[in-house]
Formats: sequence, structure tokens, C-alpha cells
Amino acid sequence: MKVTLATHGGQAAAINLRLPPRVVDAEALPEQAARELAELVEAAKTAPAAKERRPGQARDAMSYTITVEDVGWSAVLNQSDTTMSPAFAALLTWLQRRLAME
Amino acid sequence: MTTARRCLNCVTPPYILKKLLESGEEDIRQAALNTLVSTAQLRGGRAVRASFAGAAAAPVNGRRTIFDCHNSTSLQLAALVRSESDPPVADASANRAFDGLGATRDFYKKVFDRNSIDNRGMRLQGYVHFGTRYNNAFWDGQEMVFGDGDGRIFTDFTGSLDVMAHELAHGVTEHTAGLEYHNQSGALNESLSDVFGAMVKQWTLHQTAAEADWLIGAEVFTPGIKADALRSMKAPGTAFDNELFGKDPQPAHMSHYVRLPDTEQGDFGGVHINSGIPNRAFYLTAVGIGGYAWDAPGHIWYESLKASSAQTQFQEFADTTYLKAGQLHGAGSAEQQAVLAAWSEVGIRVSGAPGGAEALWERVPAGRGDGLVHDGTTIPALKRQIEALSAQVNALAEGVSVLTPKP
Repeated sequence: MKVTLATHGGQAAAINLRLPPRVVDAEALPEQAARELAELVEAAKTAPAAKERRPGQARDAMSYTITVEDVGWSAVLNQSDTTMSPAFAALLTWLQRRLAME
Repeated sequence: MTTARRCLNCVTPPYILKKLLESGEEDIRQAALNTLVSTAQLRGGRAVRASFAGAAAAPVNGRRTIFDCHNSTSLQLAALVRSESDPPVADASANRAFDGLGATRDFYKKVFDRNSIDNRGMRLQGYVHFGTRYNNAFWDGQEMVFGDGDGRIFTDFTGSLDVMAHELAHGVTEHTAGLEYHNQSGALNESLSDVFGAMVKQWTLHQTAAEADWLIGAEVFTPGIKADALRSMKAPGTAFDNELFGKDPQPAHMSHYVRLPDTEQGDFGGVHINSGIPNRAFYLTAVGIGGYAWDAPGHIWYESLKASSAQTQFQEFADTTYLKAGQLHGAGSAEQQAVLAAWSEVGIRVSGAPGGAEALWERVPAGRGDGLVHDGTTIPALKRQIEALSAQVNALAEGVSVLTPKP
């Protein structure tokens, strides 16, 4: 399974536009970490985005596109700072921690 | 004091707490607010806090409250760490957020006689330590949220006063023009946040336009990153240039306007990109007039913001600044000429300025020196209506010509 994280918008939108998406390849992870990632992806896939408290009023918030590619299936998850579900937030946090280790 | 708050937590019903928010005694108001916030947290419901926002807003004159997200992305779980009457706390981020909100609030009050974000004393709420390695600060429509940065590219966003003031200016824009957040109106929205962000910093440092660096977010990068800032208002397109994320893509002139998709991925049509154009117009106006940016230039831009609407584009905003400069400082004044020259230098020709066909239109509203024809209609707007009507008449004439039998 390959998981790609792209970040959009925010105060640093001009920089985010130029940074390439970052990739975590589950096959390169230790078994325990790969299992965690699979579980987080599964939870995030089925968790709907939260309802935005003030629709259209957020400014400089960031949004995230997480693309999951596996044998026989793929999924694209897109949520933002003001709408992300707890499951999406958990996956995002996990990815950011993992990517920071690289 | 702690005992009293605990007591309120235990027994005081919400309707009484709501009344207590209107108390003349600060300690009582604070205890009531703390209780309401604690209750909201316990219930996991932001809705409770929001429902009392109106009651809290009226008498508070922009009182500050800082919450700690403890690296969660849920504001619901954030803990109250500092309120208006509290002394500094151990958390430097919380103190910087507190001070930044205060400086911004004081700036609006003293310079523009504006009572907080909504001009009705709206409470200022800041949330620090949002998310994990979060490289951003944002305005969610009601509150400010700050990230700690990833420590690799970005550092703590509470370290930048102009970034903080930028976010709060989004609130001011929302409560005035309500500029739509995409394409030109969105870029104008972003620019106005940079303009007011820069002014708050300069006002705090007591810098003239000539002395200021005109950088936005100069403090948000880690020392290892080769970048001056997120944006340069003086020289858009030069804030950074490095191997990691390339060159600053902001244009400084309309001829380099960047067309991007109106999507999240396209920064809603490049709102953070094309803001460079009106940003530079403000910088040029400020140095053209001289002195402090928050004096004449700031007032011209503030009045123009209030006179704008959700769909205002660069051209209309430029026209409005010219009109307002004339109203505030006199037709043909040095201030008005500086505005005209600034927009011209970024590639926007102000409608209604002398020297062009628009000069004719200045004579239309005979006897009125405020540039208004009737019911708030501006001369440029009237001109555009007439141009649109002319285009329709021409199209009709062409249609008639086609239908008319040829001899």
C-alpha cells in the first residue's frame, strides 16, 4: 500500500503549491507500523468529514489530499483543518510524524 | 478565587451565568466565562460556547482568551490557559498570542476607533499548539488558530505579529466588505490582511513607511531556511528563493497576474499569489505619501474596505481608494496623486482620474463633491453600467443590420 499526502492552502500557500506530495510506502515500513497505517486508513476511509461550523468563513485554513493506492483498489480522501474527522486527523498526524522521521 | 470558580462549576445554571457575563465586576464576568467554557469542554460541545458568544461579546471590548490545543486538531478539546485579567503564564506561545491579539485590538481602537473585529467588542480567542508540526495559522471565522511549525521549515507561528494581525484582519474584512475568498476578490481579501498586518507591526514598532521592512511572516522560518518571509509587500516575488521550495511566485504587476484553478489545490484562484499586486499598490502609496502607513494610507484603505462589497475586484478597489483619498484629503491632493501613481505602477489605471476619458465623468454629479451620483452609486460604477448598455445597443444595432433587407 502506498499513501500520498498533499497539502494545500494556508498562510504558506505559495510554498505548498511548490512542494511535491510526500509518500509513505507501507512495504518499506516495519510490520507494526504498516499494520497501524492500514488500520488508520481503513478508519479514515469510512469517516465522513465533520460539518463546518461556519461554512465558507475559514481563511488561510489548509486542506489535505491523502491518496491511498493498494492492489485492486485506491481511494482519495480530502478534508480540511476545519472539517476533518477524528479518524482523518489521526491518519494525518501519523503520516506527518512518519514523514518527519525521514 | 479557585474555590469560587469551582462553586460556579457545580451549581450555577447557564441562564444565571449568562447574566453574570453582563456584570460590572470583572472577576465575576471572568468566573462566569470560565465556567461556561469548562462546561462546554466537558460536554464536548463548542455549540455551548458559541451560544454565549453574543452575550459575551457586547460588553467585553475585545477581551482575550487563549486556549491550548495540546497538539490536537480538535478545538473542542482545547484547555483555557490565559484570560484578559490573568498574568503571563509559563507557555511562551500562549503569551505571544495574548500579546499579539492585544496589540491588534489596540491598533484598531486607537487608529480607526474600531471596537475589536466586529466593531462591537467581539471577544478575541486564540488557540495555540494546534495539531502536530502544524505549519500554519488560520482564522476559522470566529477564532485564531496557531501551529507550532514542523521545526524543519517553519517555527511557531505565534512568533510573527503581522501573521497574527493578518488573521484577525480576515475577521474585520468578514464584518465589513465580506470579500469572497476566490480569484480577485479573494486576493484582495488576502492583501487587506497583509496591509493591516503590516500596519499593526509598524504601529507597534513605531516605524515609518520608509523604515519598515514590509515583510509578512519574517519570523516563521527556521534559521536553516533561506527565506526572508512568506511575502514581501515592497517587492512581491522576492520573499524567498531556495532549492527546497523554489522562488516566491507572487506577481508585482497586473501583466504577471497568475491564473490558477478556483479550487483548494489552486489556492482558490491564487488568492495568496495575486495579493502581491494590491500589496505593492499599498506599499507604493505609503512611501509615496510618506510618514506612517497607518495615517493617511491606512485610513484611505480602511474606508475603501468599508465601501467595498463581496465581489469587489482590483479595478473597483483601486477606483474606491482614489475616490476615498479625494474625499479624505481633497481632489488632486498629494495623497490622491500618490494613490493614483501607486495603482498605475502595478498596472491598474484608476477610472475617474484626470487625464483620460474618465475625466468627463467627474463632471457628471454636478454640485456633489463626494463622488456619489445617488443612493451610493459611484461614478466608475455608473460608467460601467453605461458601457454595458452601450455594448447591448451595439449588439442590437448589429442584429437589426443583419435582419434589414439589403437593397
